Amino acid sequence: MAKISLQHINMIYPDGTGTNTQALKDIHLNIEEGEFISVLGASGCGKSTLLEIISGLLKQTSGQIFLDGKEVTGASKNIGVVFQDSSLFPWRTVRRNIEFGLEINRRSKADKKILVDKYIKMMNLTGFEDRYPQQLSGGMRQRVGLARTMVNDPEVLLMDEPLGALDYLTRQTLQDEIVDLWRRENKTMIFITHDVAEAVYLGTRVVLLSPRPGRISNIYEIQEDRPRRRTDLVQLALIEKIQQRLNEISSDREDIRAYI
Amino acid sequence: MENKRAKIIGLYSGQLIFLLAVLGLAEYAVKAGKINKMFLAAPSDVAIEFYNMIVQNILWPHMIITVEEFFAGYAVAVAAGVLLGVVFVAFPWIDQFFTPFFSAVMAVPKVAVIPLLIIWFGIGLLSKMVLVFLFTFFVIFFNTRNGAKQTNINFLKVAKVFGATKSQTVFKLLIPAAMPSIITGLRITATTGLTGVIFAEITASKAGLGYLLQESTALYNTPRMFVVIIVVTILSQFFVAFVNFLEKNVFLKWQKL
Repeated sequence: MAKISLQHINMIYPDGTGTNTQALKDIHLNIEEGEFISVLGASGCGKSTLLEIISGLLKQTSGQIFLDGKEVTGASKNIGVVFQDSSLFPWRTVRRNIEFGLEINRRSKADKKILVDKYIKMMNLTGFEDRYPQQLSGGMRQRVGLARTMVNDPEVLLMDEPLGALDYLTRQTLQDEIVDLWRRENKTMIFITHDVAEAVYLGTRVVLLSPRPGRISNIYEIQEDRPRRRTDLVQLALIEKIQQRLNEISSDREDIRAYI
Repeated sequence: MENKRAKIIGLYSGQLIFLLAVLGLAEYAVKAGKINKMFLAAPSDVAIEFYNMIVQNILWPHMIITVEEFFAGYAVAVAAGVLLGVVFVAFPWIDQFFTPFFSAVMAVPKVAVIPLLIIWFGIGLLSKMVLVFLFTFFVIFFNTRNGAKQTNINFLKVAKVFGATKSQTVFKLLIPAAMPSIITGLRITATTGLTGVIFAEITASKAGLGYLLQESTALYNTPRMFVVIIVVTILSQFFVAFVNFLEKNVFLKWQKL
């Protein structure tokens, strides 16, 4: 049985003028336990909408989502989300930010200490426990964001372009850390990105979404072993292939013609 | 660097000389009879009056009463303002229904209701408390509400995926997110609240700094009026400093990095 099953998901936003905007069209996908799914697409293709639907933040117009065969109808403890800009609470220190989910679940003080310490160590945040978010670099902040989600031990991790705002080198370091984390903790990952190389380097499958409305255009399997090399020729060839396909589907856009 | 420091020292000493000149002028004008003693007090007389009031223990008991009246009303206003402010954001239908009424009551000039408050609550502590509340509550309430409404939408998403309850969202997100705006409200009302007490005491009371002011006017004791004015000013600045202290060291430590 699939870990997560998306069945014919449609999302339509009413825009008030009578015409509706279809953000997602018939998204149908089964994700096995322990998979690393990269969801790739140009901006405006509904990637974030899809993530918000899976995490229970938004309600789809039609279709169903199953986690371990049980329908998901709202926020679930077994699904964790890491947001694009890390969204750390500026009034909480690193430790208190990571603690947030445990606090919400009313865990004991001892539990909190043990779990938070574990993830502070795992995410290389030792020595920064009492800093506030604005005292940290972008990479550090995203590590805290990851730790905050991981501490609740969700089975499925959703990530919405978590590395989008980082510089190239920090980005690569964090990509490797995310892969390590995934392999060690045996999570099922759904990772949203608009960077083709990132999608291919990380994923076991790359799901390519086409824009307006967001549909699954192609699915690419990546069977390469870990650790992967970024300069691997098979990988580079695939990146090029996906990039070409991305260019083709992007040119389908008709809504810009009126302005050009 | 050296030059800059010299400039600052020059500025400060210039300001000090100006201040002393103004005080000296006032001293001369009153002592030489150029200005009637009833209208202006010579600085030296004000200092002597201040000394006498301390020695005869006149100032202190009145000040305590004013401060008590202020804090009694202010504490209620802060608690009610912050709590209602976030509740209005947590429950949009409450906000929609009641906000017009709150705005309308806020628009009433508070001084105009003093006579009514005296009829309702007498001339003691209670009427002062209610007036301080009216002077301060609305500003604290609206600052809290508007601050909480500005909460970053992503923070709310985080709370929702973690499964936070409504009360957890209120206490762990809305209040901390509104804190900068709440502090601004506290800083404004720390002085307006004191104004309210003084007003009420001038109108009808048997004690307090406002009463003292009223009494010294009746007795044409101009130096004493100046003493009270100076004490009230210092008191209000002290309240503001206290709010600033809380801001820097307790509530908004993270903003001051």
